[in-house]
Amino acid sequence: MNKQAWLDRAKEKGFDGLEIYRGHSAERSVEWFGGQMDSFVTSDVTGTSLRAVIGGKTAVLALEKIGDDPAEIDGTLDLLAAQAAIVSTKETDTLRAPEKTEEAKRDSEWKVPGADEILAALADVEKEILAYDPRIKQVTEAGWQDSVSGREIVNSLGVDVRDEGRTQILYAGAAAEENGEVKNDFNVEVVRDLSKFDPKAFAEKAAKGALEKLGGSPVPSGAYKVIFERKAMTSLFGALTDMFSGDLIGKGLSPLKDKRDGQIFSEKITVVDDPRCPDALRMANYDDEGCPTRKKILVENGVFKTMLHNTKSGARMGMESTGNGFRGGYASPVGVSPFNCAILPGEKSLEELQAEMGDGLVITNLAGLHAGLNHVTTDFSLQCSGYLVKDGKRERSVALVTVAGNFLDLMKKVVSVGSDLDWEYRTVACPSIAFESCAIAGA
Amino acid sequence: MLKKEDLSRILGRCMASEADFAEIYEEEEVSETVSSLNAEVENVARTVKSGAGIRLYKGVQSVYGYLNDAEGERLDAIVDDLRRALGETEGKTASDIALTEKTYPNNNPVEKDFESVSLAERTEIVFRAERAAKGYDPRIVKTKARLLNVRQKVRIANSEGLLVSDVRVRTRLMMEAFAAEGDNFQSGGYNPGAGKGLEYWEEKTPESVGVEAARSAVVMLSAKDCPSGKMPVVIDNEFGGVIFHEACGHSLEATSVSRNQSVFAGKLGQRIAAPCVSAVDDGTIPGAWGSENVDDEGTPQRRRVLIENGILKSYMIDRLGGRRMGMEPTGSSRRQSYEFEPTSRMSNTFICAGTDSFESLFEGIEKGLYAKTMGGGSVNPMTGEFNFSVREGYLIENGKVTTPVKGASLIGSGAEILMNIEKVSDNLARGQGMCGSSSGSIPTDVGQPAIRVSSITVGGTANE
Repeated sequence: MNKQAWLDRAKEKGFDGLEIYRGHSAERSVEWFGGQMDSFVTSDVTGTSLRAVIGGKTAVLALEKIGDDPAEIDGTLDLLAAQAAIVSTKETDTLRAPEKTEEAKRDSEWKVPGADEILAALADVEKEILAYDPRIKQVTEAGWQDSVSGREIVNSLGVDVRDEGRTQILYAGAAAEENGEVKNDFNVEVVRDLSKFDPKAFAEKAAKGALEKLGGSPVPSGAYKVIFERKAMTSLFGALTDMFSGDLIGKGLSPLKDKRDGQIFSEKITVVDDPRCPDALRMANYDDEGCPTRKKILVENGVFKTMLHNTKSGARMGMESTGNGFRGGYASPVGVSPFNCAILPGEKSLEELQAEMGDGLVITNLAGLHAGLNHVTTDFSLQCSGYLVKDGKRERSVALVTVAGNFLDLMKKVVSVGSDLDWEYRTVACPSIAFESCAIAGA
Repeated sequence: MLKKEDLSRILGRCMASEADFAEIYEEEEVSETVSSLNAEVENVARTVKSGAGIRLYKGVQSVYGYLNDAEGERLDAIVDDLRRALGETEGKTASDIALTEKTYPNNNPVEKDFESVSLAERTEIVFRAERAAKGYDPRIVKTKARLLNVRQKVRIANSEGLLVSDVRVRTRLMMEAFAAEGDNFQSGGYNPGAGKGLEYWEEKTPESVGVEAARSAVVMLSAKDCPSGKMPVVIDNEFGGVIFHEACGHSLEATSVSRNQSVFAGKLGQRIAAPCVSAVDDGTIPGAWGSENVDDEGTPQRRRVLIENGILKSYMIDRLGGRRMGMEPTGSSRRQSYEFEPTSRMSNTFICAGTDSFESLFEGIEKGLYAKTMGGGSVNPMTGEFNFSVREGYLIENGKVTTPVKGASLIGSGAEILMNIEKVSDNLARGQGMCGSSSGSIPTDVGQPAIRVSSITVGGTANE
């Protein structure tokens, strides 16, 4: 694609500006099932998103086939002009001008294994899971995924940035059966060097997870002291981070509207968003508009300090972009999202949190997060499972219960914040957190 | 899209390998979303996707490659990659596959293509819904609406000589209304759609969509905490069918059944639901949201009776699942786009109308929940444990519907819940949703008449 030809033609047509975003992804993945290779997937996809500002209004168009034929350029730009003409919001949009930033760098070596090495590792994982316990009935899936993705952002004001990243993961699921009851669990690990991968340790996590769930049953409905174990805490918090979006706050649709500098969580809670975080799997020096990223403290000792913005949402509120203008994919519009957002860890291990709680419930897994949350009120009601704790020790597995409440209320009732923050492959992470009380519905 | 002779040549190259079957799926999709807040257009986004996916089978092993800008050398390179993944291919020579084009009657004709009218006319659909919502009640303070229009063209060619095309046109209005009273801020939503052109909005008026979202938001202003624990629940029609979709539908897909990862594996011909329950998955309903003429493997869509008077009659099977199960595919293979390998999926799935009157469902319930509108849900097919959320619920007290209560999730195990359906009324209606699974996010209808379940766990916050 001749980007300059597109930028020049947009200028001749009197556009305020044109941004060209190109996303590229290539994947190779292998799945293993029942003692043999089950599937293999290879891909190579490039998409281009054009974002034009015309008369202060924005239009976007995403294309997978794009050429430089003058008639094609003209036709596409005319479509954008028609889209911009119908936008009726009062704000005047602008594209970003380039900004100098010192790019954070880090060592991220990925050793790419050969096909035989991958198949051998998956076979080992399957063998180790099956050998772990006679109650393991099946390895439900085992797979390897290697994805490379890159992006280029160029605009008529001179922004010109690009980056590329790789991720390799290995995953497997185990199913356990006892007395006709079946339970399953799943493990995922980021693997930088497959020759250093330990299939036995990996297999143990998947197998143990499934075995521990056996014999789980509901507890009587009532109010319980609860600990959200780090993965459950991460999924609950992760599903609600849109409350920090300056776009939603500006539109009056976030529960944090009018709450800036107010106490929204317990003073034990501090939330940081840092796209350059050295401990997280992914890292971005720029957002998807080419704005340099930076570390922000969103909540400090429970007080709401900073909201997240892209260029447009910031301008609407008379504020600067925080470098959080990210897209869900090349074809998605530029939204506002956190990137490497964490609740900062405390001092205590999960065992210490349990000991401190005495009697209560540890929630290890939540389901139905896409539907069981009200983003306007933060009311939630979710299927969960975990285990009952008696005198500080694990007593038995709990399944088929719900946990319900209001997230903003819950976050004011923090007893202790755990120390076990782990990013794994995620861009939102939380440690385990113990709460005074939560409504559980069960038997 | 590729020329027919190129398809023949590429399929021939695919088969000069260890593969016993090869398929090329081509797709071109134009989609447009008009987004508005408070009846002001915020954004019009348009996406044009075009790509292809090539799949080879060797027994029950499959290899899949996809790319966009799918032409010439890049396609050949992907084919080489796939052939290698299936093993060495010495001594096999490629010969072109003869393709015969098949056509099927179009079940989903479009009268008014979205691109045949002006952008201003499309935008007016959104404004009409928002104005109706705003005008419903002075407590409606904000409105938000998105109109989605999609036209997806697909063509499938395979090594058995099949060549078949389909065009799927869909339209959907996603409406949200926000109501405020003092500090109390609530939302209500309604998202109807169809496998039709813009003519659908003459049958389902945008005003009715706006009013429904506003009504729900206003009701929630007076909602109390929802009770918790096990109780009888009456689940109303339309999107209420999400209970069957989660509790049973997913567990009848070959994806889980063929690997013995479903609670309903090996249960054909057995009783899995109460005798008052019959359920169907039907991809041929004209103009329905989840309909298509052929599935994404080129097999004609059909009506599948899943459960008849409580007895399991059929699974939903794709070609690869069929190989594992030793059964014929049922035309159930679907995918979000060329970026996904297809697998067995639902289309328009619903519990059939019964004979109980709506009023009789509430008789004799001393304390229970009436779930009027539902959000989404999810299931683990291996254990059958499912959840789905109630958006708008009411208490049932002494046989009468009384106070509105806040949203709550309902949970249970699929095998148990189907047996606990006590009554099925006669007001069958379907609602539209997006269903997510391994082959991506696809449009599906859920549906049912109002039903009564004798006992289900309600995840509220109120404890008595």
